[in-house]
Amino acid sequence: MDPPLINEASFSAANPAAYSLAEIWPFGGEPGRLGLRMGSLGGGLGESSGNRDGSLEESTVTEQSGGGGGRKRKDVSSEDESSKMVSTSSANGLKNSSGKRMKLEGSRNENGNSKAEVETSSGADDKPEEQSTKPSEPAKQDYIHVRARRGQATDSHSLAERARREKISERMKILQDLVPGCNKVIGKALVLDEIINYIQSLQRQVEFLSLKLESVNSRVNMNPTIEAFPSKDQFDAATLLFGSHTAREYGQGSQAEWLHMQVGGSFERTA
Amino acid sequence: MRTSTTTTSSGITLSTKSCRIKFARRFLRSLAEIKKQKRSSASSSEEEICKRSKRIKMAAYSSMARAVGPRMNWSRALLFKLRNRVSYPRLVKKKKRVTVRSNKVPRSKSSVHIDRGNKLRKLVPGGKSMDYICLLEETAHYITCLNTQVKVMQAIADNLSK
Repeated sequence: MDPPLINEASFSAANPAAYSLAEIWPFGGEPGRLGLRMGSLGGGLGESSGNRDGSLEESTVTEQSGGGGGRKRKDVSSEDESSKMVSTSSANGLKNSSGKRMKLEGSRNENGNSKAEVETSSGADDKPEEQSTKPSEPAKQDYIHVRARRGQATDSHSLAERARREKISERMKILQDLVPGCNKVIGKALVLDEIINYIQSLQRQVEFLSLKLESVNSRVNMNPTIEAFPSKDQFDAATLLFGSHTAREYGQGSQAEWLHMQVGGSFERTA
Repeated sequence: MRTSTTTTSSGITLSTKSCRIKFARRFLRSLAEIKKQKRSSASSSEEEICKRSKRIKMAAYSSMARAVGPRMNWSRALLFKLRNRVSYPRLVKKKKRVTVRSNKVPRSKSSVHIDRGNKLRKLVPGGKSMDYICLLEETAHYITCLNTQVKVMQAIADNLSK
């Protein structure tokens, strides 16, 4: 089970990639030493600095014995398992620096318990798994706010997706507060419909108000002294007529793409 | 994540007052300019009225975007579009035709969400190039700004018509 010992010089010169891997994977050393270190780290990992200590020690150890390199490269391929194994080990009392926990199914916890015991006693049999718990911890710390409940997936992609969904739902809540009468609506699609309708109504309102302002402006301009009521009424009627006319024009797509005018809509919401 | 959302929401609530004042000033200034230009060509034909109302609308949108400033995506996109529209009106028309054609093609039941997102993208200026999360944020800000715009325009119209 013991990996063959290689000289420090030859190992570091031959494969520098493995050397860097050894720094990433803290438990890459010889199994004999690993058992000892597990004993010491079992107490030390409760603190936040425990992980760093382990990694620093380990980088020095793997310089001396580079036999773990081959095995480490295997672990790179099996990282899917590793992300799952992280949660078990962390749930078993190895506190992370972030203090985040992942809970998985009960059976998985039991497995993790037995494995942890095995590792602390012998340390040699389950070494790849124990190694693989370490590298994915920094990846986990990217999603501090995300918590996996029972039976939820814990690989990085689903974590990221969950974070994205939470963000989207937060924004949707903000939007629901903004749009009147949107709190009663259930379902994201309907909420989006409400938001779209509201924006369209607001834009229509802006168009209507600009027409109104134009009429008011021109009336004030053309004969600022005369402000008789009949003329005002005429102008209001004119704006209404021209309003329908302009709406038709916008509908033909000849003008104002950026306004996204909607044709033929009733002014229920605007009123 | 939570801190960022709270800052944005508080920013929206804080900025509405100053935004309203800035927008009102700019809009009134542009209205006065439009008045001046109208004095030179005082005609009351339908086309003239349409043109003037369009100009007022554009003035309203551009003054809103300028009042918001370049920190939001939609205001930047709106200003850019307005500038482009002023300088290249024919290009905009061509683009419009293309988008109309592409609208009719995608309609499937599975992509309801994407469909609505695309609708929102069309409504919010500059939304075509946005991430979905970013789009929702910008939509929130855009809605508040449109609300203030409508209120200010209503107030001005009421004041002038008295």
